[in-house]
Amino acid sequence: MTPPKADFLAILTTLSAHKVDFIIVGGIAAALQGAPIATFDLDLVHSRTSLNLERLLAALRELEAFYRGQRARKIEPTAGQLASPGPHLLLTVHGPLDLHGTIGAGRDYDLLLKSVDDVSVRARRFQVLGLSMLIESKEEAGREKDRAVLPILRRTLEERRKQ
Amino acid sequence: MTDREPERRVPDAESSEEAPAVEQPTHSPEGVDLTLIRWMLSLTPEERLQVLQSNVESLLRLRRDPTEG
Repeated sequence: MTPPKADFLAILTTLSAHKVDFIIVGGIAAALQGAPIATFDLDLVHSRTSLNLERLLAALRELEAFYRGQRARKIEPTAGQLASPGPHLLLTVHGPLDLHGTIGAGRDYDLLLKSVDDVSVRARRFQVLGLSMLIESKEEAGREKDRAVLPILRRTLEERRKQ
Repeated sequence: MTDREPERRVPDAESSEEAPAVEQPTHSPEGVDLTLIRWMLSLTPEERLQVLQSNVESLLRLRRDPTEG
């Protein structure tokens, strides 16, 4: 099976077209703010209001999203599943997409909203989790893979502050 | 033995190019490459996304066919 060609912007654009409320977190958020790290998936925290879940499901249908790691079975996410803290590890026609109800120590969309920066890409504005909160949430998560990127994130924050 | 002329090493004194002087540290004490961070920060968010995406594509190409040039 040929893997889908990764196109993070196409996923983001589809979600925006459906007016989905989300915050970009994880490696893509870090890279958008200048951290030289590589990632294979797009991590987002979505608002879990019923209206937003409806919009999110419509966008996911357009993206032909299904849960990864289910062998040949293509299990599509439901509103009930997406209302949970997650994570929901999906594969779309434009590559992997990880949806989180919460990150770190249970921080959800509403809590994280105070710590977002607006980032403009091709005349579209996206909410991106600021580097300070990204570092904090990775410290809270405390997993080895999160700890591994912390030195790069901290140094990127320092260099940004010098500019 | 071959007829090939031995390669002549350019004496250091004749060398015209030198590595640029280091104005800022290139690495943090824990080994983070600061030059990469500064380069990424010089790009627009869209360019950073393109860098990330092309890196992913390159890695996937390598994984599919490690002999691909």
